[in-house]
Amino acid sequence: MWSGKRSEFRRSVLWPSWAAAVVWAVSVALGAAGLLAIASGVVDLLGAGDHTVPLLVCGSATGLLASVLAVWVRSPERIQHLHVLSAVTGCLILFILLIAGFLGLTEPSMTLADALFQATAMATTTALDIGAIDTTGHGVRFLAGGAQWLGGIGALLMAVAILPFLGAGGEFADRSRRGGRRPMTPNPAAAVRNLCAVHGLATAVTLVGFLIVGVDPLDAVLLAMATASTGGLFSGSDLESAAVQWVAIAGMIIAGSSLVVLWRLGLGRSRSLLRSSELRAYLGLLVVAPAAFLLWTDGSGVDGIRRAVFTVTAAVTTTGFPMGPGGTWAPAAPVLLLVLASIGPMTGSTGGGFQILRHQLLARVAVRELLRQLHPRAIITARLGRRTAAEDTLTQVVVTQFLFVSVIFGTVGAMAITGFDLATALAAAVHAISTAGPIRSLDGSLVDVGSWPTSARLALIPAMVIGRLSVYPAIVALGAGAALIRQRLRLKRRAEVAVSRGSVNGLVDRGNP
Amino acid sequence: MNPLSQFPFGNRWKSTTASVLGMALLFVAVGMTMATLVALVDGADALALATASGITALIGAGLFHVATPGPQNITAIFSAVGTTWVTTSVLGALPYLLAGTFAVAGQSWVVVLADALFESVSGFSTSGSTVFGAHNPIEAQGAGILLYRHLTQWAGGMGIVVLVVMVLPSLRSSGLGLIDAEAPGMGVDRLAPRIKTIATRFWSLYLGFTVAVAASLFVAGMGPFDAVAHAFSTASTGGFSTKDASIGHWDSIAIEVVVVLAMIIGGASFALHNNALRQRKFGYFRDPEFRTYAAVLGAAVGLVVVFLVGDQMGVVRAFRSAVFNVVTFGTSSGFSNATGAGTAGDFALWAAGPQLVLLLLMVFGGCTGSTSGGVKVIRLRVGMAYAYRTLLSLRQPRALFTVRLGSTPISESMVERIAGFMVVYGLLVVGGTIVIAALGVDLVSAFGGVISALGNTGLTLGEAGPTASYADAYPTTARMVLAVLMLVGRLEIFPMLLMLVAPYRSFAGVARGIRTQLR
Repeated sequence: MWSGKRSEFRRSVLWPSWAAAVVWAVSVALGAAGLLAIASGVVDLLGAGDHTVPLLVCGSATGLLASVLAVWVRSPERIQHLHVLSAVTGCLILFILLIAGFLGLTEPSMTLADALFQATAMATTTALDIGAIDTTGHGVRFLAGGAQWLGGIGALLMAVAILPFLGAGGEFADRSRRGGRRPMTPNPAAAVRNLCAVHGLATAVTLVGFLIVGVDPLDAVLLAMATASTGGLFSGSDLESAAVQWVAIAGMIIAGSSLVVLWRLGLGRSRSLLRSSELRAYLGLLVVAPAAFLLWTDGSGVDGIRRAVFTVTAAVTTTGFPMGPGGTWAPAAPVLLLVLASIGPMTGSTGGGFQILRHQLLARVAVRELLRQLHPRAIITARLGRRTAAEDTLTQVVVTQFLFVSVIFGTVGAMAITGFDLATALAAAVHAISTAGPIRSLDGSLVDVGSWPTSARLALIPAMVIGRLSVYPAIVALGAGAALIRQRLRLKRRAEVAVSRGSVNGLVDRGNP
Repeated sequence: MNPLSQFPFGNRWKSTTASVLGMALLFVAVGMTMATLVALVDGADALALATASGITALIGAGLFHVATPGPQNITAIFSAVGTTWVTTSVLGALPYLLAGTFAVAGQSWVVVLADALFESVSGFSTSGSTVFGAHNPIEAQGAGILLYRHLTQWAGGMGIVVLVVMVLPSLRSSGLGLIDAEAPGMGVDRLAPRIKTIATRFWSLYLGFTVAVAASLFVAGMGPFDAVAHAFSTASTGGFSTKDASIGHWDSIAIEVVVVLAMIIGGASFALHNNALRQRKFGYFRDPEFRTYAAVLGAAVGLVVVFLVGDQMGVVRAFRSAVFNVVTFGTSSGFSNATGAGTAGDFALWAAGPQLVLLLLMVFGGCTGSTSGGVKVIRLRVGMAYAYRTLLSLRQPRALFTVRLGSTPISESMVERIAGFMVVYGLLVVGGTIVIAALGVDLVSAFGGVISALGNTGLTLGEAGPTASYADAYPTTARMVLAVLMLVGRLEIFPMLLMLVAPYRSFAGVARGIRTQLR
């Protein structure tokens, strides 16, 4: 009887778009964090760690809450784009807060700010380590790896299954069924299914690679998760081995490739792959940049080449596995790494940065503008390979560039206020928004973020979140939030004015002046 | 039409580029002659300046004699403006080379040549970056060379091509295009129905302003020669000085006030000055661009004062340093009021906060139609409105939003043009930084140097601070790259990039003609 009443209630209530979006966001964040905490608890139990109980209890509680919300929520007939983007942003922020909470529970010595920074770095796949994970047990290490992996999935969802269906950029998605093809993203549901499969397979392949070169199973799992998600946070010493570095290089290259590329490879459509100008540019970057890096770091021999390829690949894919300078670097070497991190890998990968496709579109906009100077009345389209970019896509890319630079300068300003020099502040801001790491000083040496003041670390958090959400959606969500607050304030002010008028009228009615 | 007929085999060579270039070189020769006269009084470098003047005049007269304005399409206009600026800057290095200004002991001829070119480009583009320094002090130079150096900035400030349009009646309709391609900003306000009148009015205003600045500086305590020289570089928001410590040499509040006011006026639109003078009304604040310009400068001063006071600097000293440096960066002038290394005005030693404000001001630049560089306030305002509109359209997908400047709607083509400009500017900054860093310069010096060169600011952050020389901070090849970027920035990117299109088309046309005849 009760269940009948409940289903009747659910049928009768028409959920507004924003409410459904909010509940879905909360449910997904709670569910992901809960499952991760339970898995971490189990890993901790297997390793006889000290954090099993808090992880399992918290994971179960959040998981239960997520289940309740998931059952309760009812999708509206149509959900607005704005609410989807706001929900995704809210989901990431809530996920970060939950991970920070778990870290705070398992590591009581960690301050709230440190937990928040470390959780943000994990969930946004930014390789900025404050040294908090090194001394902890298996459970927390798995929590770190899992948070990165889920962060990577989130980025993929945004890039492959949400943004192309909401507006600009859809013309570059793999949707065509022509010639009996099986496209990766025919619709959002199939896109989610396929991207989970491809990402899972890529992680598994990397894991097998690490196991083959003799990495301990748990470390192999953690390394594979850090590599596949381009997270780069790993607290072991395995990466010092040459064989492990070669496997990591291969894993990073796979993680930096578009899922569409991997999908086509899996389906045997590899012949058409090299037509992709983005893939050509990505591979070109992976060949040319190590050569330039080698030139500026005086590296030689197989060892030098491996170090150069590893460092450059970690920068291009924004994975950020740390490697200090082996010798003296020319001033251009750290600048090259910084620029590579800001460029990033292919669109539709787990990597951050501005991404290659957007850079190519910007280059097309620049060329078009030059041509327009000569032929002001001509209609010039921007073509990339065989596809013509839509005007909306170009507008969005230009605006994203504008926002990207604005966030960088805003973060540099915040860092400068906390007392940092311009070079370090600029490097930190670029790394944060590109979700890359580690930060390097002008001579290439690694900067210890753990020794920074708390305020400086907190200043990087917004840039990391905005960068992980591909800039545009986060700004839209922030704008929507600001508009909502403004609207509420306006309504409140109106109500106050109405009340005061009413009271004045009342006073006048009663004959008072 | 047979393309070969465009070659100088016939009566006169029909080439707008050659014609404009010839006249521009004649003007440069006049400047060199003026410097020669001063050098004759001073007794140093007179022969070198006279020879340079003669060579430049000869080439200019030769080109002017053999060429007549030809096709006046967009390609020809870009080619004319770009080629004129490059050639003028190259020949403008002659006085330095002939006088041996940079021939310091132990310096190779390549470096001497590069330094002369750099100083010439920096002058004509009104950048104000200099290779003079402790190894080769400015104050050791003769008056003739110093005056010539300042004159290059003065000529570059309002534009040599504008000057040519003023005296070359045969340019007719392409005059406005030429001014448009050379003038900083998004287009020229038609101050008068006739192109020649527009050019004359710009130059008259500019001349009057320069005279007023010279008189004010003299009254404030500068010597007559220094006052005139600084008037040239202040009115043009150039930043060259006759002293190694720049304006800091005098350490005078009166002189700094005059220079600051002159820089602010120089950074505002000359069309606004023209309207104010003609209507005898102070209508500056009705212009949305000027309002933003004033607000940006005001806010930047406030921020820098707060930062400096926070760094234990006295309030008065902080205010003085902040106002001067904010205005010199914000108007892309490039003067310095540091009395020496490590003093209050030495922004190289400031914390990152105020340095970031100065860096952003280099990007902002002044107003359209002014002598200043940078991206320009109006472009940034429209760019921000464009970004806001795009974000807004996601919230209300069916609504139509117009980008406005004040109450004036901006056309879509103009908005796209501005967005395109910003993209090209961003790519140039990133590309330039990589190239300069690859030549062995650290990140901040490379990034600051490129933004400074593109914005024609002169001053920069990093190694080449207010009391340092570009010769010490950047290797020779990096200085050459910066010189190219200065020219690109002065002509606001497109003319310099497109100047190569006309010769390419010309050569392609000739090749096609030859192929056809051979068949």
